[in-house]
Amino acid sequence: MGFSLDGVGLTHANGFRALRGVDLRVAAGERVALIGASGAGKTTLLRVLAASLRPSEGRVRLLGGEPWVDSPRALRRLRSRIGLVHQAPPIPPRQRVVTAVLAGRLGQWPVWKALASLLLPLDPAGAARELARLDMAERLYARCDRLSGGQLQRVALARVLYQQPELLLADEPVSAMDPALSELTVALLNEEALRRGVTLVASLHAVDLALRHFPRVVGVKEGAIAFDLPAAEVTEALLRDLYAAEGSLPLAGEISGVTAAPGLPPLRCA
Amino acid sequence: MRAGVSPGALLAVALLLLAVGASFAFLDLPLGALFTGSAANEAADFVKRFFPPDTSADFLAKVAWAALETLAISLLSTLLAVLLAAGLALPAAGRQGWLAGQVARFSLNLLRSVPELVWATLMVLAAGLGPFAGTLALALHTTGVLGRLFAEALENTPAAPAEALGGSGAPALATFLYGTLPLVAPQWLAYALYRWEMNIRMAAILGFVGAGGLGAQLYYSLSLFHEAEASTVILAMLVMAVAVDGVSAWLRRASA
Repeated sequence: MGFSLDGVGLTHANGFRALRGVDLRVAAGERVALIGASGAGKTTLLRVLAASLRPSEGRVRLLGGEPWVDSPRALRRLRSRIGLVHQAPPIPPRQRVVTAVLAGRLGQWPVWKALASLLLPLDPAGAARELARLDMAERLYARCDRLSGGQLQRVALARVLYQQPELLLADEPVSAMDPALSELTVALLNEEALRRGVTLVASLHAVDLALRHFPRVVGVKEGAIAFDLPAAEVTEALLRDLYAAEGSLPLAGEISGVTAAPGLPPLRCA
Repeated sequence: MRAGVSPGALLAVALLLLAVGASFAFLDLPLGALFTGSAANEAADFVKRFFPPDTSADFLAKVAWAALETLAISLLSTLLAVLLAAGLALPAAGRQGWLAGQVARFSLNLLRSVPELVWATLMVLAAGLGPFAGTLALALHTTGVLGRLFAEALENTPAAPAEALGGSGAPALATFLYGTLPLVAPQWLAYALYRWEMNIRMAAILGFVGAGGLGAQLYYSLSLFHEAEASTVILAMLVMAVAVDGVSAWLRRASA
């Protein structure tokens, strides 16, 4: 099923060209990391893949559908099969963790079920299961404004895991986590994609995380694709060029070898 | 900033004093008569007639019944207004397109700009004397006020949570309930409670135009010059207003 972009360009209302001539083909079950300096267009690209942003030019095919050609009904159905982990967790502060996680299936539930679940959570066990994978099970009934930034990010992640999407997208899903937790969380995303055989595309600020965990790495620069290579073939020269504007390479640890320190909080990944 | 009083402020005070003097002259109010000994005596006599309040069991039962009616009118009308206001606030905040937004905003303006007493007079003509007319009148005006406040709260709410849910295919109603309502609920509740406090005072007055409750009782008593009875009714209004303020303050604290 996978997805394909052909000559996709996107110009924002203020005239800023966020994407230009993007061609990208990803087969079902592939795991791809997006890297690039901030402002390069990674978020815009992910939002196009989530069928949230309509490109100004080019053709988008996602999971066998064409979001901007098919009917609005089909678009809604398609969106319910795509899960996007947002960079800033989009969760109302006063909502309980369980409700925030269950909201992942609103696109699949009939409206009566959504209403009923608001009064009494319908599937707390399901929410607890996803939270447990992120070591957050004990916060099931906590209010989201009582959580730290990293914890909130894990709740947002649990919501998308609970949605069980066929296309799993993540926009800097570990930006508020420490290196050890980032490592485990990125591993968890990959494990989930492998286990369920779904496509995973994640943008990552830390280059080493991308190289360690993803078989395929796509470099984005100034709204276009700079390179699209197997992780092993990404050279330091390519990276230096990609991050020329930022001056240095953003790393979570070191390029070679896992640097997660021992004795940090455990995170179950299975 | 310079300390002291600016010439502009002095001029403003002088103009204000002039306007007050002119108003007395225009209305032909004998300012001196307010402060004569006979005026004070008359005022004292008038106040004395209200004491002691009528506490006969018969009349107290009547007042208690009317107080319950007032409470019911204020509660029902506020609840009805909250539902209608929520329904109108969504289009008024521009969520259902431009045309629906204009229609909703116009309706809210119309409902709000007609005062409660005028609505009550109209409703008494339309629905007959009694608490039903009072409930409708308060609900209509309160819908106008709350609808506008609710819409403003909606406009100032971050859209990201709702957009994220819509982006995962959630239908509009579910998106609103899970992504927007939790953000505006505390503000909506505070507005609704504030209007409830105002409505209980208003419900007590609406009886004057025949819309039931404590106001009707007060109107009968005063028309018959039964000042002691009127005094009991006024005390009942005071007790109720204080009680409602307390309950609403407690609810607001509990929801924070």
